[in-house]
Amino acid sequence: MSALRHPVLRAATRIPPSYVVFIVLLGALWVLKPAMMNPNILGTFARQVVPLGIVVLGQLLVISSRSIDLSAGGVILLVNYLISSGLLGGIDPLAVIGICLLIGLAVGSVNGFLVGKRRASAVIVTLAVSIVLIGLVEYLANGKPPGDVPAFFRNLYNARPAGVPAPLIFWVGLAIAMSLVLSRSVFGRFVASIGSNPVSAHFSGVPVERTVVAAHIIAGFMSALAGLVQTASIAVGSVRFGPELVMNSIAATILGGVIFGRGAGVWGPFVGVLCFALLFVVMTSLGIQEPGKLVVQGCIILLAAVFYGVRTKVN
Amino acid sequence: MSAKIAGTRIAGVVSARDSRHGLWFLPLLVGLIGGVALAATAADFATTQNLLNLAAQAAPLLLVSIGQMLVVLVRGLDLSVGSVISLSTAILSIDAPATVTIPAVFVMALAVGLVNGVAVTRFHVHPIIATLSVTGIAQGITMLVRPVAGGTIPPIVTVLVNGEFLGIYMPLIWVVVAILAGWKLIHGSRFGLHLFAIGGGDTADTFGIASRRNILLAYVACSTFAALAGMFLAGRIASGDPNIGTQYAVDSITAVALGGTQLAGGIGSLQGTVIGTLLLSMLANGMNLLNVSSFVQTAIKGLILLAVIAIQPRKTIGL
Repeated sequence: MSALRHPVLRAATRIPPSYVVFIVLLGALWVLKPAMMNPNILGTFARQVVPLGIVVLGQLLVISSRSIDLSAGGVILLVNYLISSGLLGGIDPLAVIGICLLIGLAVGSVNGFLVGKRRASAVIVTLAVSIVLIGLVEYLANGKPPGDVPAFFRNLYNARPAGVPAPLIFWVGLAIAMSLVLSRSVFGRFVASIGSNPVSAHFSGVPVERTVVAAHIIAGFMSALAGLVQTASIAVGSVRFGPELVMNSIAATILGGVIFGRGAGVWGPFVGVLCFALLFVVMTSLGIQEPGKLVVQGCIILLAAVFYGVRTKVN
Repeated sequence: MSAKIAGTRIAGVVSARDSRHGLWFLPLLVGLIGGVALAATAADFATTQNLLNLAAQAAPLLLVSIGQMLVVLVRGLDLSVGSVISLSTAILSIDAPATVTIPAVFVMALAVGLVNGVAVTRFHVHPIIATLSVTGIAQGITMLVRPVAGGTIPPIVTVLVNGEFLGIYMPLIWVVVAILAGWKLIHGSRFGLHLFAIGGGDTADTFGIASRRNILLAYVACSTFAALAGMFLAGRIASGDPNIGTQYAVDSITAVALGGTQLAGGIGSLQGTVIGTLLLSMLANGMNLLNVSSFVQTAIKGLILLAVIAIQPRKTIGL
């Protein structure tokens, strides 16, 4: 490890792994399929990961404050069901959006209350909440194929102001907002201090419980937003969202250099999500099938985490 | 006088305060009430045949949960057990002699456990991340080996799982052996004692306990238990299935948590895990008899987990 004592190398290891992976993937794509290096094509692929990107914005906040949120899958499923089932058929689309966001806030509050106030394990609580929501939606849907999504959502999703896909603009805007919250607001500093040491944060007067609860509520809200975008993107209802989205959101956050209670950057995880988009493009253009994708993805996450783990030890 | 002492002891067990065994008494109570209620409402519940079915349904989950508990005791979590189960059934269903496939399953489990353990202990990767990425890798390999369910399982495995030995139903023997092995590992060995010590605080190293080696062994043991569960399931369905294990990661964590084992480490008991497993299996079995849809079952499972978790005392906030 003595090689890592060199200042230049040490600075290099402080870059989030996602930046390195992103550049490597971009290079690979450039060498293997130069035809794919087209802003239009890449924009379309980036649009597909917007739901994941929005979930990650909430996830990074929760992970920074030493918790975790596994309930995003359940929230997205519920939002999707509410919009596509026609249950809220006669209501103004804006009101539907409002109801969905309220549901996200409510689920986040339940998570936050149980994790922050009752001090239950975040893994178990959010997992259980997700299980309850999934069971509920599947029971309501009762095996019937869900209906279509109102045209309002599809039009919004397919809009391209100034040639840039609307969901991308929305995602980048949210990311900028989140990064301002983390770097400029008192709440952001509370999150960072809980991340570095909850005990000393408590003794310095940081309201640890309240901050964890707030982080979970924001994460629930982000899941609902992701659900709206996801629903608009597939344009039909679906009772099957794999747990992949939740697991990928954790993976992207870790790739972005945020690890339980360390670092609270937005752009590392942001690039981490883009890595997933790019990984998909590279492997699809190489003709790698689903099993190979899983293996490569697992290897990349593990290597990034090993890299990060070694680095924390050296520091 | 002695009645008073007995009274405080019982109160201690009920509230689980200062206990290393966690809150296993409450799930036991819930289980007993549930069992009696099921026996009263579902006519077929308390029949010998159904109870034997229950044992066969509970056996794989019990095996996985015992392994999961070893890892949870040292503040870990193993999400890769599901993919290890699927991969075990896939390997067993390869068209090769049993003398090759059965050792191959255990070599695979050893490899998965080592990767998890080394990543966690040597490279300081968070257990969730390490086992999650290993899940992806193992699941990918599973889908390469066996893209769709099928194949045949060596007869020796099917006989070991479905037959009878000395007139005793085989799954019942698996359950008893699993409990005995778990008891020996967790409450009857130096290894188990060290796991409690490592999970209980950061001072285990100071007392000369090789925490890295023991954590590594816990992960290897967990994968091995998962591989055994995979063998059992392969024998039951007599074929390989790339998705059979998917549910077991969540279910085993649920069972362990239901039994009062704390995810913060150092607190838990085998009796709790056994009770948690039986509670989950009984729930599934009973609600199937009562024709409750599987979706409602999922929701009820989540609600029970939330309820039991919300009343457990804990100091730390977060994971």
